[in-house]
Amino acid sequence: MSAVRIRAVMHRHWIVLRRAPHRFFEISFWPVMDVLLWGSLGAYVAKQSPNSHATTPYLLAGIVMFWTFTQAQFSIALGVNEETWTRNILNVLTTPVTEVEYIVGIALFGLLKLALCLLTLTITTIIFFGFNLSAVGWAVIPIAAVLVINGWALALLVVGLVLRFGQSAEILIWGFNYVLLAFSGVFFPVNALPGNMQVVAQWLPTTKAFQALRDVLGGQALPWGLIAEAFVGSIIVFGLTFWCATRLLAIFRRRGLVTRYS
Amino acid sequence: MSHDVDVVVARSLTKRFRGTAAVDGIDLVVPQNARVGLLGPNGAGKTTTLLMLLGVITPDSGTIDLAGHRLPRHRSAALGKVGFVAGYLPLPENLKVREALTIFAGFYGIRRPKPVIDEAIERFGISHLAEQRSSELSSGQRTLVSIVKSTLHAPRLLVLDEPTASLDPDVAGRVREALLDIHREQGTTLLVTSHNMREVETLCERVVMLGRGRVVADGSPAEIAHVFDTDDLEGAFLEVAARHSAYSEAHIEGNR
Repeated sequence: MSAVRIRAVMHRHWIVLRRAPHRFFEISFWPVMDVLLWGSLGAYVAKQSPNSHATTPYLLAGIVMFWTFTQAQFSIALGVNEETWTRNILNVLTTPVTEVEYIVGIALFGLLKLALCLLTLTITTIIFFGFNLSAVGWAVIPIAAVLVINGWALALLVVGLVLRFGQSAEILIWGFNYVLLAFSGVFFPVNALPGNMQVVAQWLPTTKAFQALRDVLGGQALPWGLIAEAFVGSIIVFGLTFWCATRLLAIFRRRGLVTRYS
Repeated sequence: MSHDVDVVVARSLTKRFRGTAAVDGIDLVVPQNARVGLLGPNGAGKTTTLLMLLGVITPDSGTIDLAGHRLPRHRSAALGKVGFVAGYLPLPENLKVREALTIFAGFYGIRRPKPVIDEAIERFGISHLAEQRSSELSSGQRTLVSIVKSTLHAPRLLVLDEPTASLDPDVAGRVREALLDIHREQGTTLLVTSHNMREVETLCERVVMLGRGRVVADGSPAEIAHVFDTDDLEGAFLEVAARHSAYSEAHIEGNR
């Protein structure tokens, strides 16, 4: 693995971000809109039912951490797609940059975008709702780490599917996130989900991460057992999606699908 | 011929798409410092062959050694010694020329790109384009920048797919001159596909003619013309194209 090549990938995406102001929508506009929506909903419910004061922090922490997952996913999925949209993928594939170097480069750059997103959201929640995510304390780090790993894992699968099936699969970049939003108990415990969905949801590492978040917000200590399960699950999920992406990339190369983009 | 000095050694390459052979058992050896044209009518397998040689498309069977490295295992090491230019391939339009060159220099592992880029844009006379965005360049300028991009790392082999397609004769002439300069000054091997027979006669000392995914002739432009009993390379090309077309029509009829 070459640090020079990884740095070049990061440089490439820094320029893409700088030149395309609409990219800041993914980093700040949509997340801020979500925070305003869910924060206002929480405030309204709390006003209607004084016993539900915890609702606003639960919803806000949930949506902020959901955007942590989403940013990690977007950074890789949209990063690779940038090369297909600009017909640059053949240029990249004919350089010594390996697939792993490319993914590492955009994932690292994605962490910078994630930091920017979290900063924006933290300021927004403090100003509009008086909620500071730092209330969660250091527990936010392992929870965020689980979500970032799962965001990367999902991105690998999406990238593989887009390379294999082309433009029609691009909708999955956004679509899969909402599946995870519904199944992971971002705003509520898993037992609030319909019966069959609970079976699926309880196996997801993201569900365990959001459960741990709610426990901490509820004043409990970080449930390390749950976090450990989430990490093990995340590594398994990452391994599976990495394997899928590798297989799909092999099909992409075998069928000469690169010619779609040249 | 020793493989130490062969920059491309491809053996028994085959590739089928949906049951149709795009490349059918091609053997191709390109020595270092050679100038080779890969010719053939549309659908003869030129681009598929090039993309297999670059490790972008996986062959169904056969072996490829590129710049001394076996593909696909050592693809990254091999591509560190190869440059690729395609007339149809744009650079990312949201980048300025200097930015694009800086990024590609990084992709080629060049630690301090600035002096390398300065020298390259000076040598190719494109200093005035350095701060322009790729989207603002003409076709000829884009091709020149692509050549600069692909030669920043002083490759042993430069693969060019239709490098002068859609360029006017004046610009195409300058591109050819630039390519011959690179070959003379750096000993870079050129592997070129083109539909412009005059260009091939100017650029290449050897021609490999493909038809229906196979090598149908291999030699100097004059030898190729002799094989097909024509006056020049263009005549030979037309002969191969006619046979290719007749086969394709018969194949379609047979499949009805």
